Amino acid sequence: MNLDPSLGLPVVYLVDDEDVVRDALAWLLRSRRLLSEGFASAEAFEQHLQAHRGGDARDWPGAPSCLVLDVRMPGTSGLVLFERLAERGLLAALPVIFLTGHGDVPTAVAAVKRGAFDFVEKPFSNNALVDRIEQALQASAATLLQRRQAAAVQRLLAELTERERDVLRLVIDGRPNKLIAEALHISVRTVEVHRARVFDKMKVRSAVELANLLRAPGA
Amino acid sequence: MTLDAPRPNRRWRVHRRALLWSALLLLLLVAQSLLVALTLNYESSRAQELSETTAVEVAAELRRELGALQQQLQSLAFQAPDGGGWRAAAAAQLRAERILVRLERRDAEGRLALAVDSPFQAELFSLIPRADSDLETELACAAAGRAAAPVYSRSYFVPLPGGLGLELMDLCLPATAAGRTEGFVVASIALGALLEASLTPAQRRSHEFSFVEGDGTRLARAGLPRGAGVFQAERLVDMPGFALQLRADSSAGAPRLIPNLATALVLGLSLALFALVLLLARDVRRRARAEAALAEALAFRKAMEDSLVTGLRARTLDGRISYVNPAFCAMVGFSADELRSAEVPPYWPPERLEEYQRRQATRRLDDGAALTAAREGFETEFMRRSGERFPVMIYETPLVDAQRRQTGWMSAVLDLGAQRRMEELSRQQQERLQATARLATVGEMASLMSHELNQPLAAIASYASGSLNLLEAPDAETPGLLRQALERIAEQAERAGRVIKSVHDFVRRREQLHEAIGADTLIESVLPLVRLQARKSGTRIELDLPPTPPRVLCDRTMVEQVLLNLTRNGIQAMDGATPAAARVLTLRVEQPHERWVAFTVGDAGPGIPPEVAQRLFTPFYTTRRDGMGLGLSLCRTVIEQHGGALDFGPARGGGTEFRFTLPAARAAAAAPVAQTREAA
Repeated sequence: MNLDPSLGLPVVYLVDDEDVVRDALAWLLRSRRLLSEGFASAEAFEQHLQAHRGGDARDWPGAPSCLVLDVRMPGTSGLVLFERLAERGLLAALPVIFLTGHGDVPTAVAAVKRGAFDFVEKPFSNNALVDRIEQALQASAATLLQRRQAAAVQRLLAELTERERDVLRLVIDGRPNKLIAEALHISVRTVEVHRARVFDKMKVRSAVELANLLRAPGA
Repeated sequence: MTLDAPRPNRRWRVHRRALLWSALLLLLLVAQSLLVALTLNYESSRAQELSETTAVEVAAELRRELGALQQQLQSLAFQAPDGGGWRAAAAAQLRAERILVRLERRDAEGRLALAVDSPFQAELFSLIPRADSDLETELACAAAGRAAAPVYSRSYFVPLPGGLGLELMDLCLPATAAGRTEGFVVASIALGALLEASLTPAQRRSHEFSFVEGDGTRLARAGLPRGAGVFQAERLVDMPGFALQLRADSSAGAPRLIPNLATALVLGLSLALFALVLLLARDVRRRARAEAALAEALAFRKAMEDSLVTGLRARTLDGRISYVNPAFCAMVGFSADELRSAEVPPYWPPERLEEYQRRQATRRLDDGAALTAAREGFETEFMRRSGERFPVMIYETPLVDAQRRQTGWMSAVLDLGAQRRMEELSRQQQERLQATARLATVGEMASLMSHELNQPLAAIASYASGSLNLLEAPDAETPGLLRQALERIAEQAERAGRVIKSVHDFVRRREQLHEAIGADTLIESVLPLVRLQARKSGTRIELDLPPTPPRVLCDRTMVEQVLLNLTRNGIQAMDGATPAAARVLTLRVEQPHERWVAFTVGDAGPGIPPEVAQRLFTPFYTTRRDGMGLGLSLCRTVIEQHGGALDFGPARGGGTEFRFTLPAARAAAAAPVAQTREAA
């Protein structure tokens, strides 16, 4: 599995009330060189979430992550936890794979339709499960990368002055300098100066590049 | 029934009825008035006749009276008018005859010689002299002298003192001696007194009589009442020289309706007749209304009888069918006409004909006991047209006519076959429900067990896969990790073993429920259910038990279930495949060994083909569409849990036998159980 090392070590969160299943899975993941963290209940996992991310969902999880979630658990069930994560918009960065016992398949299918990454029926084929976990981690990593780029763009945008931002908007709209000058009631010469500054600050060389940068997902 | 007759027809009927009634009333009216008129007419003609007769009688009496008077006066005429002698004789005459008021003796020239007045009468000629009223007398005497016979004068009026007066008439008798008229005797007769004298008391009461002149002047009258002037009769009384007109006037007026007896009678009768006609009309109307109500009630009852599911049948006392409702016809499959015309009910199965006839005969003989039995209902068997026999329940009540005489029997017939089918259906549903419930329990158990076993097995699989992963690229840590994994695998395997053991323990706990129970008790407890199934397919059940049934040690509920399963299989194997008469299910109990009791369930079915026999005990194998395939494998498991064995083979008389053994309860173990049973 190849992930951008700059994103940090991937983590698999295991939420299952069965200690044995959790332990065995952790052991299996370890044999595939994956880090895992186990939680005996949905509540325990939510507490962990609260402790590590504060209020903002944007900067969590810091590393590619995946949640392996048992559907049936005493207390808060896997489905309820899933709904809460979906409400917070965490599903992109934290894909959820459901573990279902027999008879829960229709529920799991419904969950997938609402945004879960996948479901695996117990008893599961172990390495196939790990493969799905790795795919989920990759999806998570992709999301995190996008977010990082978007954040970079935001930072660059923040350095622009008010007038430069106006010019930027009109440039992206595809207007020539003359029209921009008319719209902003300034001279064409001044527009050219602002435009050069914007390109410089945004680290691009052309208007097309600028547009691509701003239209990237997450921006 | 004219309930649904067309309207014009009905109106016409109403009109015709009104016409008839008015014609009858009119005729009656005419007849009655004619009758009354005739009666009145008859009444008046009778009254008129009475008046005529009375007049004739009175006239005759008058003539007789006058004749007699003439006779008496004749003597006076012969007596010489010598003064004293004649006078005395005249006085005597006057005293005797009240109608005479004066006697005179006149000479040949008519001159008055002597005169004697009636002592009952005031002086006659005190107001006017005799000479003034002498003219009529003289004329009469002249006539009498010429005819030498008595002659009456015209009447004349003599006023009397006090404003009264008398109408008089003179009779002039010539006194002849030797052919020469010597003188005359003149007698003045009071007309009123004359009339009075010639009346009988009855005539006097009923009529007013009077003498009238031609011009209607009334000269004298007599009689108590005044004439009504309706029934009058006139009669001429002829006298020499004078004629008197006698008039009899009945006091009865024109006959009136009410006080008249005959009319009243006729009228009363007519009224009574009218009243009768009215009553009759009302009665007819009431009858018509009752008829309509009856028709309606009949239609209502008919609809009710037709809608009944219960068969209704009425029989006369000699057993002939007089009435059946459609439900009964549908039940037996014969039409109502066929049933009514049949000598012997066609729905009696021929083989039971004699029995039924006997039963009917006995019921006819004694009433009381049979009646109550019939009311409570009795079960019997009828035959449909197709020949199919079916059980029925009959409730009978005597049919009693208006004279309170029993004319037959009314029976309500219930088709028990249909009822049994319903019962059977509901029982089967119940059974299916129970099976489903059992299945649900099994499913739940399976779910629970699979979950319990899933966890350790999943863990084991994970550890094993992980270990394999490690072995693909072994490094220094690998042996340690593998050891760890193997330890955990062992742990989880043990856990799975514990789960299995707990199931085993559960089965063991049921074993402790084993009790010593008589083989006969076991069979008896399932027999009702078996019979229910057997009756449906017409299967007979044969029991073969040793005289002292052995006791077995078993879980009663489970073994009962096994017996039920085997018997049901047997019955179903024969259903359809075996002729009804040969369908026999045998239940046999033997004790081949002192430790074992053998139960055998044998059927007379077609036997089991070898390819089926091979797989018979495989769970979920079934030859029936709706079967679960758990029956026989479950039976075998139950029996084996008891330490017995279940096998099968061909039966002696064909078909299949299922045989299982159960451990016999030892006498020592059985005895205390038996005692506690008896104590309980």
